[in-house]
Amino acid sequence: MIDFHTHPVLIREFTEKYPNYVRVAREVFNIGNNFQPLETFFLQMDAAGIEKAVLLPIACGRARKDPVSSNEQVAELCGMSDRFIGFASVDPMAPNAPKELESAIARLGLKGLKLDAALQDFDLNDPAVFAVYEAAASLRIPVLIHTGMSWAPETPLERGQPLLLEKAIRRFPKLQFVLAHWGWPWVWDATALALKYPNVFLDTSCLYYDGPTEFFQFVFSKQIPTTLIERSLRNQVVFGSNYPRVEIKNMVKALKSLSLTEGCLEKIFRANAERLLGMGQ
Amino acid sequence: MIIKLERVKVQSRKSEEAINITPKVDDIVEKSGVKNGVVNVMTCHTSSGLLVTEGIPCLEEDILTHFSRLFPEEEDYHHRRYLDFDGRMGFNADSHLKSILGGIQCMFPIENGKIVRGSRQTIYFMEYDGPLERVYLVQVLGE
Repeated sequence: MIDFHTHPVLIREFTEKYPNYVRVAREVFNIGNNFQPLETFFLQMDAAGIEKAVLLPIACGRARKDPVSSNEQVAELCGMSDRFIGFASVDPMAPNAPKELESAIARLGLKGLKLDAALQDFDLNDPAVFAVYEAAASLRIPVLIHTGMSWAPETPLERGQPLLLEKAIRRFPKLQFVLAHWGWPWVWDATALALKYPNVFLDTSCLYYDGPTEFFQFVFSKQIPTTLIERSLRNQVVFGSNYPRVEIKNMVKALKSLSLTEGCLEKIFRANAERLLGMGQ
Repeated sequence: MIIKLERVKVQSRKSEEAINITPKVDDIVEKSGVKNGVVNVMTCHTSSGLLVTEGIPCLEEDILTHFSRLFPEEEDYHHRRYLDFDGRMGFNADSHLKSILGGIQCMFPIENGKIVRGSRQTIYFMEYDGPLERVYLVQVLGE
């Protein structure tokens, strides 16, 4: 199984090596849990039955002084274990952003692009962002974009509205967009985009109240019907936990609590992610 | 009077686990230089515990199983909400309640440089919310 949405922000080994790592975790990403040895990350994956995890950096240096994990830090972690799959992040407002993305993919071996318009403070429909999409399309890598609400401070909700992405989704039909957090609270907007556009994927890293199972039972069976996932979106959903904001095992359990068939769960937990990442090709 | 405090790291490897720390505590006491006194052991976390019972696997399993029966994971807990100071959801009320029920500390006398405890008594670090690296304290007091 693959976890498509994790953030390496609490790695103990990085706290001494990178001077701003602790400040970023506490003040920019906003997480108060103890820093843990890298071993804990793997044990959390093991406890959840997860084999591989996508590590997401956020290039928010312009807006927040430092990135939430740099591309180099993600590549460093990927070099330590083949259980990690690293994504790159660039600031679309930087003039050299497309080149920087190309470099991160070629030089660091990263496999996708992560963007967060709220934390990185940019307009999703700025022409500069489209230049980055153009580069990602040329590189044939997926783009995972934060949608919905963010727990990080100074992140306006309006920047997370899924429909802001429609123009880009239409402009780049061969570029695969992964809408993180299923766009919550705009769950129907994100769902509609995935129903309408085959190049839109949704990740399940969605938890904003109650416990994971209660939340999933409401959002994915009462708010939108489970049958919609099973019948219409089974090829466009990937499992994501948002670890360490949530323990991976709890999100796995929550997803498995839905009335989805084994075949559908296999796609969500593995096959769709492998297809997005070009694994086995 | 000697007072020595040691912080011991322990890596839990499962969601819930009973980890026998008796040899470690014995070792700290013996190396402390205290001949007569007491040793206090305490976990530093509110979702883990410290308890004493007979050191056999069936009891380890029973404790964890029946604590989970008393405090099921899926229950109507007020703790299931966003915790702004942690930047994340709190949904481990069951772990906290198990910690309260089982306790977080224990104390033994020291005589002639060794812990005095019953032959069946085993000290366990109890993980209720793992896997995580945890810390427990061993404080030796005496002369």
